[in-house]
Amino acid sequence: MLDILHPKISNINKNNIDINLSEEIIKINIRGKNKEFFTKIGKILSIILPSEPNTSSSNESYDVLWLSPDEWMIYFEENKNTNIFDQLYKDISSINLGSITDISSQLICINIKGENIFELLSSGSPFNFEKFKNNVGSSTQTLVNHIDVILHHKSKNNVNLFVRRSFSEHLYEWLVDSSNFI
Amino acid sequence: MFLINCPFCGERDQSEFSSGGEAHIVRPKQPTELSDDEWAEYLFMRKNIKGIQFERWNHVHGCRKWFNVVRDTSNDKILSVYKMGEKPPVNYK
Ligand SMILES: [Zn+2]
Repeated sequence: MLDILHPKISNINKNNIDINLSEEIIKINIRGKNKEFFTKIGKILSIILPSEPNTSSSNESYDVLWLSPDEWMIYFEENKNTNIFDQLYKDISSINLGSITDISSQLICINIKGENIFELLSSGSPFNFEKFKNNVGSSTQTLVNHIDVILHHKSKNNVNLFVRRSFSEHLYEWLVDSSNFI
Repeated sequence: MFLINCPFCGERDQSEFSSGGEAHIVRPKQPTELSDDEWAEYLFMRKNIKGIQFERWNHVHGCRKWFNVVRDTSNDKILSVYKMGEKPPVNYK
């Protein structure tokens, strides 16, 4: 039976592509529109939410991905800052300035590294990776093997892939299998 | 297969989108005052034009935003894309 909380994803290297499970990553979905919302978020996170589509911004604590004109995802290692969710929730959600949702259990992060990762992803995605692969910091939502994913070009040839936990084992198997044909 | 220029994310493959049917159908202000036929007309009847059609699309596997598209259904050419709430372009009547 599929164990949704603990999908069978082991670290693997195939054809110079490293596929690793990145767990203990906190992911927070942020939604909001007005000026006060942007000011508050900036103050709490010490980061400006990216307004340009398909981009991200980062500092030493957080990565923030653009998802849509009024939606972002912030992620960071669990041990880094445990009470930031509470603070965001208190200062934004609880006074209806925007919406803050902890989606750590919804999504799983799979890290993919190597020179051929964009060929691997392209082999199962309608997304055009030409611009994405030349720009570290790019982010996008698209499909890989018909599964919704969020992709973040973290550093050169190093991508963090976020996928629904229930789809993750299946997508992982597809990634491993497809690495054989790159 | 064709490409759609999402007004938020840029050009993406059609498979990332979901069609929401004909655009600019206005919900009647007083549904209770309509006859069954009039209600059915609003609810179900669509033009389904062969040619230039105004449609709603949703970038369902991307930013999840709704927007409008002018598409020639005979050749799948996208003639125009505009955001929700914006006026439809007048040169495609
Ligand atoms: Zn979009």
